Amino acid sequence: MRWATWAWVLATAPAAADDIAASPPAELSVTVYRAPFRAAGSINLDGLAGFALVSEVRTVHLPAGLRRLRFEGVADGIEPASAIVTGLPPGVIEKNREGKLLSPSALIAAALGKPVTLLRTDRKTGKRQRLDGTLLSDAEGGVVFQTSEGIEALRCSGLAETFSFADVGGLAAKPTLSVLVRSAQASTRTVTLSYLARNFDWAADYVTTLSSDGKTMDLGAWVTLANGNGVGFPSARTQVVAGRVNRENGEVEPLDAGGPILAACWPRGSTSDIPAPAYLQFAGAESRDRMFKNSVAAAPSALQEVVVTAAQNVRQEQLGDLKLYRIPERTTVASRQSKQVRLMDRQRIPIARVYGADLAEDESAPQTPAHLLLRTLNSTANHLGLPLPSGHVAVFATSSGEKLLLHESDIQDRAVDEKVEIDLGDSPDVQVTVEKETATGPVRSQVHAMRVDIANAHRADIKFELRLQLRAGGRIMHADHPVGTKNGRPLFDLTIPANGSVTVRYQTEYPRS
Amino acid sequence: MGGARLIVFGCLLCASAGAPVIAADRTVSVTIYNDDLALVQDRRDIDIKGGRQRIEFEDVSAQIRPETASLAAADISIVEQNFDFDLLTPAKLMEKAVGQEVTIVRVNPATGAETREQALVLATNRGVVLKIGQRIEVLRDDGLPVRVIFDKVPDNLRAHPTLSVTVIGGRAGTRPATLSYLTPGLGWRADYVALYSESDGKIDVQGWVTLTNSSGVTYDHAHTLLVAGSPTQVDGGARPNRFRAPQAAVMQQPGTESGGRERLGDYYLYPLAEPTTIANLQTKQVSFLDVHGVPAEHGYEFHNQWLGTSETPQSARTIYSFSTGAHAGLGDQLPAGILRFYMRDKHGDPQFIGESRIDHTPMGSTLSLATGDAFDVKVRAVVDKRTRLGNRDWQSDIRYELSNALPRPVTVKLLQEGLWGDSRITAESQKSTRRSADTAEWAVTVAANGKSTLTATFETRY
Repeated sequence: MRWATWAWVLATAPAAADDIAASPPAELSVTVYRAPFRAAGSINLDGLAGFALVSEVRTVHLPAGLRRLRFEGVADGIEPASAIVTGLPPGVIEKNREGKLLSPSALIAAALGKPVTLLRTDRKTGKRQRLDGTLLSDAEGGVVFQTSEGIEALRCSGLAETFSFADVGGLAAKPTLSVLVRSAQASTRTVTLSYLARNFDWAADYVTTLSSDGKTMDLGAWVTLANGNGVGFPSARTQVVAGRVNRENGEVEPLDAGGPILAACWPRGSTSDIPAPAYLQFAGAESRDRMFKNSVAAAPSALQEVVVTAAQNVRQEQLGDLKLYRIPERTTVASRQSKQVRLMDRQRIPIARVYGADLAEDESAPQTPAHLLLRTLNSTANHLGLPLPSGHVAVFATSSGEKLLLHESDIQDRAVDEKVEIDLGDSPDVQVTVEKETATGPVRSQVHAMRVDIANAHRADIKFELRLQLRAGGRIMHADHPVGTKNGRPLFDLTIPANGSVTVRYQTEYPRS
Repeated sequence: MGGARLIVFGCLLCASAGAPVIAADRTVSVTIYNDDLALVQDRRDIDIKGGRQRIEFEDVSAQIRPETASLAAADISIVEQNFDFDLLTPAKLMEKAVGQEVTIVRVNPATGAETREQALVLATNRGVVLKIGQRIEVLRDDGLPVRVIFDKVPDNLRAHPTLSVTVIGGRAGTRPATLSYLTPGLGWRADYVALYSESDGKIDVQGWVTLTNSSGVTYDHAHTLLVAGSPTQVDGGARPNRFRAPQAAVMQQPGTESGGRERLGDYYLYPLAEPTTIANLQTKQVSFLDVHGVPAEHGYEFHNQWLGTSETPQSARTIYSFSTGAHAGLGDQLPAGILRFYMRDKHGDPQFIGESRIDHTPMGSTLSLATGDAFDVKVRAVVDKRTRLGNRDWQSDIRYELSNALPRPVTVKLLQEGLWGDSRITAESQKSTRRSADTAEWAVTVAANGKSTLTATFETRY
């Protein structure tokens, strides 16, 4: 084999601007938006799909000349493209977010081609040998270096070996945003940095308690917000925004959180049966995977803490076509924390209990339990009349002094004066049976004669809605109860007597197709 | 300008005849297109020796498309061009040493005493087999410490993928040469920040170009030019942009004005004012637009599919529209990107109210961007009746119930879509305009905290 010569180009950095760090945030504001695709339901702590707008006020002592101003400790879910910096002098050249973080593998990469010190320690005596060398390669996780003795590979000898580095190669521990600015004279400025960050979410969690007579309910709700970032926001002004906002599917530029020094080696002695460690076999592939994994692994799946703050209600205000809820006191949105603040408490809201069934086609069906809804109007007269943000509802009833959970369901955004329906699930005490008695046609048209039996095992009369869905062009020819319409579809509004039953007969007609 | 330094270590690395020359003293220009493509032009002084010579470019993009690389310099001719991606790792070092002598140093675990021997590498298949003197041994089979020292790095093993060009130089002497190549991994888009003021119906818009580099290397002190456009790429590079197709026509009216920006063919050019260092994995933003007090309209839109009917009212979309023209507009063409809308809350703090993606937009266009759903403005479409008039002839009575929980009246642009074939409106409670053959449009006003109902009867044949 012909050995060729080898040399290295080391591009020096261009006349580097001096780094200045902005002060830690003096004033913080966090506005949490819920996951755009989630129309209802609770947040999922294992995958917070919402986001937040974070605003920080920091103080900067800016000398004259070209300077790189660093903002440290921004949320790790930051979308760098959304960052806005205000309060700087004219002369902002660019803003940057570095994607490489300080890690053992990044240290090695930064030291490539540069002098390093190799430390070799005698395991017996503890004596430490220092050797000057140069890092030649870190490709695919293996480290090759050169000393005056020749070329060797790190940790392939079985000796205790490591490097010591002169500096950190300009790498930061946390995601850092920086601004390159040229200012004519020195000044001290108050700078506001705002950015969108992922890995937040919030939802409303309603608890409704039915009164013993079943005619009214009490409705209370929490705002539950969560921060899945590794960065906390102490003593922050905190808001949440209700309503769906558009989010484009932009990809966030990856972070390279690096990894350990793998020091992959040549095949070791293998006359024995001991399999080679997995990391030796796939060191290259793994180091690549690691980069992508670590880019999202900043948030561990489990959140650590649930904090319920004092029962002080949030204040609602209009924000364009959205609703903004402001938590009245400053609060700490800690890292990996879920927090609850009181949204509302309303008493004695009149409700209608409505049983119902949807018949989608003219076919016989065996006994099916009816569906139960609580229905009310979101109006001031009903002790409501406030925007109800989407979330989760738990319905309780009081039975001999004990609270019992009846049902849990989801609720969507409801504006003022809109109808609100809370699902109570199926009611086994009210059963619906459908029978197709006769069918004629198709000479001129199809005619179906249907019979529906509704049996009520309750000790009280109940309201029942029998909703039909006919095929296009269909109509009710004849019925033995009055037919109404709801949402363009036929409907029977019935009252089923206590411990009794009602039978509805109707005929449907469809034109010949 | 940032220079480059030449470092040569150890005499074993010293030049032999035909040694590669490492280029020095560089100027890098990077032209970045929208679709993950960049043209890199790397100009440096090269010492041409006259005769056959190999020139190595080690700091090229790790994702370089080597077939697009070309080296241009006065009075040279190119023999061949190689892209070496065999990387220097301990395993490769050992593999390439098969049949070569290495030095092994045994370390006595008890005393630390070192014993040096020369060894011939016989094989590296799942274990290194060495010949030491007349003995055959497996390296470190006993688990005891053994250092292996190589005296050279094999020819084509590199820490980074490296481009090398073999040239024949006419006359000797240092002269500038330009290496140019295409690479994916560099891209840019625009990001806009729009602050809407509700009181006077105006927006302030800032535009930033956002540059991203995942090409694996850093471009130091690069002259950077951004091209708003996506040249057709035939192989590999061309990637359909998944996010491109907007759901609704956001550009209401394409513009016909020309701005002062530099152009290249049909593409607009955005040069950065000063050379910049584009670090690997860095996201860089440079401002290119800052306009204040542009009139903007806030409206609502609701799209209903044909025979779309809903149990519960659906929110109308919040729409902001404005012009990109010179008169009462942004006065610039806009490169494709994401526009984020903000609005001040009651405390005067800007809050995010939604974002929207725009395509390349000529100057003078009218943009109409949806930022999200209105909490308080809702529409419920109900098909009241479907009547069969003839064999393929149907009459559909559709009712639209609009509600407004805001303390001010709103106007909702209601669009009924899907009017395909021969379809007409035979009766309607308010006059519609036919935006296209398929879509009818009404502007429905809903009073403050009020409701409105619109009915229409459609006759469709198909």
